[in-house]
Amino acid sequence: MASADEHRPDERPFPPDAHFGEATPGKIGMWIFLLSDANMFAGLLLAYGILRGGSEVWRPPAQPALGINFTAGLTFLLICSSVTMVMAYAAMAEGDRKKAVRFLLLTALGGVLFLCGQYHEYFGIWHAGLSEQGLDFGSSAYASTFYVTTGFHGAHVFSGVVLLLLTALSTGRGKATIHDVEAVGLFWHFVDLIWILVFTLIYLIPE
Amino acid sequence: MSSAHASRKQYWFIWLYLLVLTLAEVGVANISSLSKSWIVSALVLLAVVKAALVGLFYMHLVHETNVLKWTVAIPMATPVIYAVVLIAEASWRLS
Repeated sequence: MASADEHRPDERPFPPDAHFGEATPGKIGMWIFLLSDANMFAGLLLAYGILRGGSEVWRPPAQPALGINFTAGLTFLLICSSVTMVMAYAAMAEGDRKKAVRFLLLTALGGVLFLCGQYHEYFGIWHAGLSEQGLDFGSSAYASTFYVTTGFHGAHVFSGVVLLLLTALSTGRGKATIHDVEAVGLFWHFVDLIWILVFTLIYLIPE
Repeated sequence: MSSAHASRKQYWFIWLYLLVLTLAEVGVANISSLSKSWIVSALVLLAVVKAALVGLFYMHLVHETNVLKWTVAIPMATPVIYAVVLIAEASWRLS
């Protein structure tokens, strides 16, 4: 009797490799990309750490402090979007594409809400944003490192949302495989992982 | 089916741990009686644990071969060593 794998050769487990097991070339490629990306973030966080470690007063008195509670909410949002992402993967593992598409779209929604939150934090929607409170890019190392690091992360969230929407479309059409969903998932979880570090280092460390 | 069910259960447990650790971080950051060095150490430790949970369970590193685990761990650890040296030096110059 023919197995389902024979009809979907692209979803077969990759032939085991002595060093990388059943990891597909796509997955290994995504990991290599993420490592290079991680080192870009490391450069930004290093610059922040060195500037902050070497300054007597980090936040100029006229500039606003960063809001921890609101950003903790954004952190929670990204954690929730990570769990919907693994649920999309689990649905693909069971061959339930409709459910996978729903979870991929929910994950993308989490990313969109995060970006709205970040916009509100910068520019203000329902109350004054940081830029209106005097946190201008270039006005201090405190302001510049904040905008560059969180903005670079925000660009990753935006890219992740686009990738998630494209993958949801492709999954719905029956084209994307579980390996594609896993690769997009790796990128999305990486965005969450980096935010965990950014949230701790930029927002939580006390003055 | 049962392994998928087990994975789902594990995913939700990790979500719960991440939520609790995030609340712990916010709590630690607001403790005024602790010295700054203790707060920073605790926050960094909590962040590393959270990042490890995401990497190991959501990014499935726990199921990968040792070669792939080390391929990821070594480049990730190098900037940390560099950061400790450079930030310590910047702080030392200030003192």
